[in-house]
Amino acid sequence: MITTVPETTHRAHPLAGQKMSGARMIMQVLADEGVEAIFGYSGGAILPTYDAVFLYNEEQQRAGGRQIPLIVPANEQGAGFMAAGFARATGRVGVCLVTSGPGATNTVTPVRDCMADSVPIVVISGQVARAAIGTDAFQEAPVTAIMGSVAKHVFLVTDPDRLEATMRTAFELARTGRPGPVVVDVPKDVQNWEGLFRGAGTLPIPGYRRRMQALAERRLEPRAAERFFKMLGESRRPLIYAGGGVIHGDASAELVAFATAFDIPVVTTLMGIGAIDTTHRLAMRMLGMHGAAFANYAVDDCDFLIAVGARFDDRVAGVPAKFARGARRIAQLDIDDAEINKVKRTHWSHVGLLPEALSALTAHGRRAGFRGEFDSWHAHLGELKRRHAMNYDRDSALIQPYYVIEQINRLTGGEAIITTGVGQHQMWAAQYSDFRRPRLWLTSGSMGTMGFGLPAAIGAQFAHPDKLVVDIDGDSSIRMNLGELETVTTYELPIKVVVLNNCGDGMVKQWQKLFFKGRLSASDRSLHKKDFIRAAEADGFRYAVRLERKADVPRVIEEFLRFKGPAFLEVMIDPDAGVYPMVGPGQTYEEMITGEFIASRHKVHITPPGPSEMF
Amino acid sequence: MRHIIAILMQNEAGALSRVAGMFATRGYNIESLSVAATQDPTVSRLTLVTEGSDAVIQQIVNQLYKLVDVVSIEDMTTGEHLERELILLKLKVRLEQVDSVRGYVVRTGGRVLDPAPDGFIVELTASEAEINAFTADLARSAELLEVVRSGALGIERNARQLRMVRA
Repeated sequence: MITTVPETTHRAHPLAGQKMSGARMIMQVLADEGVEAIFGYSGGAILPTYDAVFLYNEEQQRAGGRQIPLIVPANEQGAGFMAAGFARATGRVGVCLVTSGPGATNTVTPVRDCMADSVPIVVISGQVARAAIGTDAFQEAPVTAIMGSVAKHVFLVTDPDRLEATMRTAFELARTGRPGPVVVDVPKDVQNWEGLFRGAGTLPIPGYRRRMQALAERRLEPRAAERFFKMLGESRRPLIYAGGGVIHGDASAELVAFATAFDIPVVTTLMGIGAIDTTHRLAMRMLGMHGAAFANYAVDDCDFLIAVGARFDDRVAGVPAKFARGARRIAQLDIDDAEINKVKRTHWSHVGLLPEALSALTAHGRRAGFRGEFDSWHAHLGELKRRHAMNYDRDSALIQPYYVIEQINRLTGGEAIITTGVGQHQMWAAQYSDFRRPRLWLTSGSMGTMGFGLPAAIGAQFAHPDKLVVDIDGDSSIRMNLGELETVTTYELPIKVVVLNNCGDGMVKQWQKLFFKGRLSASDRSLHKKDFIRAAEADGFRYAVRLERKADVPRVIEEFLRFKGPAFLEVMIDPDAGVYPMVGPGQTYEEMITGEFIASRHKVHITPPGPSEMF
Repeated sequence: MRHIIAILMQNEAGALSRVAGMFATRGYNIESLSVAATQDPTVSRLTLVTEGSDAVIQQIVNQLYKLVDVVSIEDMTTGEHLERELILLKLKVRLEQVDSVRGYVVRTGGRVLDPAPDGFIVELTASEAEINAFTADLARSAELLEVVRSGALGIERNARQLRMVRA
């Protein structure tokens, strides 16, 4: 009754029927799930499982099998973001193993971050023994209550006989449907319990599985495809608005095939960057609050907006009613029913798996011999791209951050994995880097968690040991998880960490200058004593350089990126450099500020938004 | 508009708090909520009354479906359905009023559970409107000491069954 074991198991698990501890079962399921790395920090309530990891790897070593490395961060938040970085870079479930109480609560931020950006991770947290739960025991925290509000799902394993099935179910939940974080809270005595390992079986979750099955079976019906192409046929200015769902749903190839088949240009959200090669002729780059001016104008000018795996969030559609105001029709494809009509009413929608849906549309249009009349639209967009191109003060004596990113991009050619913190540097990296494919751009989008970049880079480097991983970070963001610098050198990861130092919270300062009359409340750090170079050196970086002269930028960036092993570069940038364009919070694209170096097509007066809109 | 929604969910630790939490974190109101086991001990039935525009209710249902423990959901509002609510009232009744209060309660279809004038307890199972009227009427002839309401329960008026799916 407890677990559903398939009756027709073709080959029994080699360990089925063996007696083992709960901790060993956890480890065995991780191995069976193909977990390649565990990110975690030990502690009292998770000790049995840490011991099981040790014993498992010792056994594997003796038998010449595959070991599962255990990567130890400075702080459990780091472990969570490493697991997230791994998951974002691969699409596979990242795993994080922590102790009870503070160990678990330190992972709340990465768990919420993964939920907000739909990233699959499994967090296994130790819990005090069952008899002690609810007694305010040492290192006890109400993990189910806390995580219940931030995770896709949370299990508290109270019946040890269900532990094995719960572990498998956690992976199933994390990766299926709209992916997300799943937490398994395991009391210490459940880890120490001994029982028979079944080798198969999951928990019954009938409602969820039925919904997943329905999702997988949902086909885009010919009639729906017909209606779609009727709208496309009536359109002269169609635009695809692609979001993170395209990347999470592994639908990039199908999206590009669809766009090229019918010659439809594509803007992407921050999370959708890489869904289409940014150098592709149809790529119109990022839209939204800090999107390219030409991308945002394209959104204003389109008459048919096709949202794919995108959710009209407030950084894109600050004023939903005026978003894509010229669009007579809006279509939306998503995996999640709840995203349809949540913010913006659509005229056509399809809920299902994106690769199948996009392929069905492409096939239908091809069969019908669809040809759009979009030539003048493309000419218009070409003109927008030319006239409102990204630009900055190229003659400034100070080092401009855009220039630094251009120089990095010149060498990486859009093939590197780029991670970021949150703030100005994140937006500059999004605006000025190329991404030739999905899963190269790893950033905390919805949650906007400063401190994401460094641990995410570590996770990504473990996923792709041979790829170039660059953490483009800010001086304030990197401080948040600075302890992880040592993790980079401990594991000799050849990560390139570049800190664009503008002595403070640059984005906060930008808002304060625009909306708070320049009162830089608690955002300026120019008097702080931090010496990042000595910090990096102290953590074992053999390459740690501060770049202060513009003339040195190309040479130093080249030597930095080519350095074998961990490398740290601090760039002292123009502290007043801003992120442009900018659509203020609660404002429309027409009100977009483009700065001094990007042409605007509207006369814009900067009007501070009302205090309640200001987030 | 007021909606009455039935939810079948797996009887798991934390399941109820996940439903309540979803309402709290997304800013939806719960007017009443009642929960108890069904004929299948692993499945509970929740009856939830909430208020919102069609778009809000659609969001609530969609978001509820995203909770892993949720087996099935039925917004009963638009279909033919029955609604009942149980109320327990504790009254302080003046001695000379006891007979008339008792008479009113019985005539209205309620029952007197404890006739002690200082703690006169009555029950009524009826529709929400009838219960509101019942309470208001009694408040005129006695002092209301405690009002205990179950919240609405609902059931659809047809042969259909809210789906119980086994794994």
